[in-house]
Amino acid sequence: MKPAPFEYHAPTTIADAAGLLADLGDGAKVLAGGQSLIPMLALRLAVFDHLVDVGRIAELHGIERRGDALWVGAGTTEAAVGASVEVASSVPLLAKATPFVGHFQIRNRGTLGGSIAHADPAAEYPAVALALDASMDVVSSRGSRTIAARDFFDGLWSTSMETDELLAGVSFPIWGGRCGFAVEEFARRYGDFALAGVAVAIELDGDDRVRRSALGLIGMGSTPERAVTTEAQLAGQPVTEVDAEEVGRSAVAGLEAVPSDLHGSADYRRQLGAAMVARAWRTASAEARHG
Amino acid sequence: MTVPTAEGSTRYAGARINRVEDARLLSGRGTFVDDVSLPGMLHACFVRSPLPRATIRSIDTKAALAMPGVHAVFTAADLNPDVNEQWHTSVGPEGPETPRPPLAEGEVRFVGDAVALVVAESRYLAEDAVDLVEVDYDPLPAVVDYTTAEQAATLVHESHGSNLIGQMSGLPASALQEVFDSAAHVVGETIYQQAYVPVPMEGRALAVDYSAPTGELTIYSATQAPHEVRLFCSRLLGVPEQKVRVIARDTGGGFGQKIMVQRDEMCIMLAARKVPGPLKWIEDRRENLIAAGQSRHEHAAVKMAFDAEGTIQAAQIDFVSDCGAYPTPWPVSTSSVVGALFPGPYRVPRASFTTKTMYTNTVGRTAYRGPWQFETLAREMLLDIAARQMGIDPMELRRRNLLRRDELPYTNANGMPFDHISPMETFEQALDMLDYPAFRKEQAEARAAGRYLGVGISNYVEPSSPGFGYYATEAATIRVEPSGKVNVYIAGGSTGNSIETTVVQLAADALGVDIEDVATIQGDTAVTGFGAGAAGSRSASMTAGAIRETAAILRERIKAIAAHKLEAAPEDIELGNSRASVRGTPTIGMSLGELARAAYFDPYSLPPGVPAGLEASARYTADTRFVWVNATHLCTCEVDVATGAVKLLRFIVSEDCGPMINPNVVEGQIAGGVVQGIGGVLYEHLAYDEDGNPITTTFMDYLLPTATEVPVIEYGHIETPSPGPGGYKGVGEGGAIGAPPAVVNAVADALAPFGVTVTRLPLGPTQIHALIAGNRG
Amino acid sequence: MGETTVNVTVNGRSCEAVVEARLTLADFLRETCHLTGTHLGCEHGVCGACTVLVDGAAVRSCLMFAVQAGGTEVTTIEGIAAPDGELSTVQAAFRDCHGLQCGYCTPGFIVSVTAFLEDNPSPTDQEIREALSGNLCRCTGYQGILNAVHQVTGAARGEEPA
Ligand SMILES: Cc1cc2nc3c(=O)[nH]c(=O)nc-3n(C[C@H](O)[C@H](O)[C@H](O)COP(=O)(O)OP(=O)(O)OC[C@H]3O[C@@H](n4cnc5c(N)ncnc54)[C@H](O)[C@@H]3O)c2cc1C
Ligand code: FES
Ligand code: FES
Repeated sequence: MKPAPFEYHAPTTIADAAGLLADLGDGAKVLAGGQSLIPMLALRLAVFDHLVDVGRIAELHGIERRGDALWVGAGTTEAAVGASVEVASSVPLLAKATPFVGHFQIRNRGTLGGSIAHADPAAEYPAVALALDASMDVVSSRGSRTIAARDFFDGLWSTSMETDELLAGVSFPIWGGRCGFAVEEFARRYGDFALAGVAVAIELDGDDRVRRSALGLIGMGSTPERAVTTEAQLAGQPVTEVDAEEVGRSAVAGLEAVPSDLHGSADYRRQLGAAMVARAWRTASAEARHG
Repeated sequence: MTVPTAEGSTRYAGARINRVEDARLLSGRGTFVDDVSLPGMLHACFVRSPLPRATIRSIDTKAALAMPGVHAVFTAADLNPDVNEQWHTSVGPEGPETPRPPLAEGEVRFVGDAVALVVAESRYLAEDAVDLVEVDYDPLPAVVDYTTAEQAATLVHESHGSNLIGQMSGLPASALQEVFDSAAHVVGETIYQQAYVPVPMEGRALAVDYSAPTGELTIYSATQAPHEVRLFCSRLLGVPEQKVRVIARDTGGGFGQKIMVQRDEMCIMLAARKVPGPLKWIEDRRENLIAAGQSRHEHAAVKMAFDAEGTIQAAQIDFVSDCGAYPTPWPVSTSSVVGALFPGPYRVPRASFTTKTMYTNTVGRTAYRGPWQFETLAREMLLDIAARQMGIDPMELRRRNLLRRDELPYTNANGMPFDHISPMETFEQALDMLDYPAFRKEQAEARAAGRYLGVGISNYVEPSSPGFGYYATEAATIRVEPSGKVNVYIAGGSTGNSIETTVVQLAADALGVDIEDVATIQGDTAVTGFGAGAAGSRSASMTAGAIRETAAILRERIKAIAAHKLEAAPEDIELGNSRASVRGTPTIGMSLGELARAAYFDPYSLPPGVPAGLEASARYTADTRFVWVNATHLCTCEVDVATGAVKLLRFIVSEDCGPMINPNVVEGQIAGGVVQGIGGVLYEHLAYDEDGNPITTTFMDYLLPTATEVPVIEYGHIETPSPGPGGYKGVGEGGAIGAPPAVVNAVADALAPFGVTVTRLPLGPTQIHALIAGNRG
Repeated sequence: MGETTVNVTVNGRSCEAVVEARLTLADFLRETCHLTGTHLGCEHGVCGACTVLVDGAAVRSCLMFAVQAGGTEVTTIEGIAAPDGELSTVQAAFRDCHGLQCGYCTPGFIVSVTAFLEDNPSPTDQEIREALSGNLCRCTGYQGILNAVHQVTGAARGEEPA
């Protein structure tokens, strides 16, 4: 189980990386932490002529406040995200999601940008990004653009980035006020990709009514999913009158592409998803009410 | 830690001795096959079939051969004609056998079937070349489902004439008909177990160093049985045994998968003589999961008859197993063990069985830790189902039927002669450790609060240390070196079961020497006598026998020399603390080193008739056909009905493996087996899709339990000596036999309020969800 | 195709070689540096047998190319014991608690546990289990391994070893 040969490039600036991607075309692939890409190369499920290692680009690293958002450089490791005091206080949902990402050895190498660019529907970060309406800074030799999370994940392991584009960073809007956050998921074993899960954010107004909420579903479709209908129904409701089980049922009701495989039938995953949403809703709403 | 003996010297058997293997393994200094690197070494990689069944129209190796760094690409035409003989010693040359072409010839019979072998300068290059080998296949319909294979129009092996490999049976079912017809209760179910597999952390591995001038082969092998590798290779290539040396230093687990040479290893042995350097093949994980073998995949219709009090009147099992395309070894006789042992450690006056073994276009069946464990699974699941149907507590039902000590020896209805076992004792000990009444109370309270706890038990009796045929003997050579240090040469085949430590402990005791003075050499056929390796839970009893026989010769010689030198009678000489001294006056004595120096370097000073030197070899022949072992596994769990998750709360094993040579090793073997059993019920499934494609070919899909999934395992020990050497019994396999039904029964008990009957494995969350949903209607 | 010079400091010694870009760090350590204590149990990131420290952080050496490790300090299992062979506290605890049988998974566990306890010297049982969950062992059922980690953390808290 050894990767096929490739040409290795290690640019040290975003501009150089973008230049390489433009020059090398379709045969090139970005290599970040390698925790998803290298297994595929080793199994020869994927073969590329060129790997552009973005691990030596200092500009891709960092966690900083930019206005109402927290910017996380794409090259920031999952371990660094998990250890960041800034992330924990500004974007608690991201902090809460991190321990669910694989195992600590994986998080020492895997990057936030790699996870989001990889766009696994069962991964935590894409669902968090979707739930919080994060925006992706994308760079190519043609210029830069920002892609909203809802436009970013466009299929199984697929994003709206072009092959010559590099994800430079992700901006997570900071939720202020009376907020609560929770991530609940169920995996076959600790650290596995989730069979079903959810990242929930809630903001209450002064009267304990739901000002806004966001439900990012994990592993419930070919992309991370947002339970927009449920969120709309919840808006304005007194939180004490919301039935968490009902939130769960509603959140999974409209899903059309719930996966089914050896580890879980679609039917099972749907029930599981509902249970996870209910659990997360309870936790997040309690946090929002009681701080 | 050691145990003092009456003689005043230390006794190491029975103590929790640190292992002699550990220093090297803990510091990265072990020698596994992949760690062996020889000048000019070449690397092999197989081209494997992507189809479950197809005709091979042609194989084009040109592009691969043209690649720089590639030395050879072999196909069946190159290797298969070189086969001289191929049979496993335990089966014998006359044994019925499945065909075993090294490389697929004409037809591929499962996804993963080896079609060609590439040899290159590195594994990287070999894999590149594999991608360039073009095989033109003509797909054929495949036999995927073993349960319908017998009726299938398609044959896996045309030459066999049927997909039924063979069948065995006990008494005709009609003999039990009357009992079943007249019994107060008859309980029957069909119980199904999915395929799950040994998955040693090191895959199969072989490096063959062939010397053309001498015709000698040195083979580094990841094996449980180095001598069997040597014998097999010698027959395969038609070279005498002396030309083949097998070295197995460290092996990363085996659990049955590494007992016997299979087709892939045959290819490496055959190819090694045709390439210009030593040839290494390291099976990678994907190969291991598609080509190293399957196990466990089986089902049976089982039934038991009870009288009104729940006393078992009769038991019947009709068993069918999936053996894939190329089972190793011939699976028919193993299947009969399932039938013969189905009554278990219970008083079952009448029993019968039938067994069928089926060919399919999937990977061949291989041995896995307790290859017959289905008998325990099916029986213990059925007893719980019966208890529920009859309204008897499952523990009480067992208590009424378990064999008591005063009934031994007891020959079961299929002729199995049980003795020196303690089923009732381990059963009661396990229940005491749990505090069964307290658990039932806790369970009732939990249920009232909407939480689902369950308890499950299983009892088994297992034949260890087979004492017949190829397995019946074991040899040891012991050398007391001139310094007085002791070296013990024994066949070995440890794949983690601590045989080095065991041997050192036993030899130190047998010769009365300090354990630090003893070392052992194992796993090298050039210097050890033939032994059948680590299989059938035989290592403890058989090595103990080999050491007992050999040490007896040396003890006598040491005593004779010491008596002569010390002017005492040999009967008055005591051995202990690496000294020989006169009984009652321990100050009068000589060190073993002094005696050894005399024995080697001053032969004329020895008493008349005593040979020079202090080295001896002897071979032990088993005292009994089987050493019976029994145990009780007891497990509690909580099922989260919202997710289908099973959390194991307590896991208790009370076992009787006789006196323990090293409790750490005993408990380690049990724990390893138990967690494999837990994995088999809750996580692991070697699955194929309907078309015959394997779908669990990586560790992302084939789920082994990790530290977060296992409970603390609690041990209870009953020590009933066997009639064999030291009273020892085997303990390697039992954990994997006893654990699965205990877990299944605990889950089923937790789900009892839903009216669920569990008859199919695995019990992953999706299956538990379906069970509950199915009964909620 | 794609050969590069890499220089990695392995167990305190500089190791420079011209390697193919596709050579994994694991194979670099095993084949180029002849440090065969790092084992391969899956080569796709799940089993943890190949775990090494890269600049002090535990990582899968099968999921990293040697070229990516250029300029780093790598510690393998061979670098965990003292130079005179004296076992580290973690290694000694594995020996005392029967935390290994075949020993194939052991280097990965020792390296992972060493890194974990560095960050969290007084973990709870649940934290220990979670930290171990990225390493697979097929022999021990994890019982001896868990006991070994508890022995180390118990000793750190001044408790009597079990
Ligand atoms: C055993 C194991 C368990 C895991 N469990 C989980 C889990 O439970 N949850 C989870 O979320 N993940 C899990 N992962 C995956 C892990 O989180 C990966 O690290 C992550 O998905 C990919 O990040 P990476 O930096 O390693 O990216 P890489 O593997 O290097 O790249 C992944 C993909 O993203 C692209 N890419 C990376 N960076 C960029 C960029 N800046 N711009 C454009 N494209 C880019 C690459 O080209 C590639 O296609 C697991 C991995 C393993 C091996
Ligand atoms: S070999 Fe690297 S994780 Fe298994
Ligand atoms: S000790 Fe054998 S795999 Fe862990």
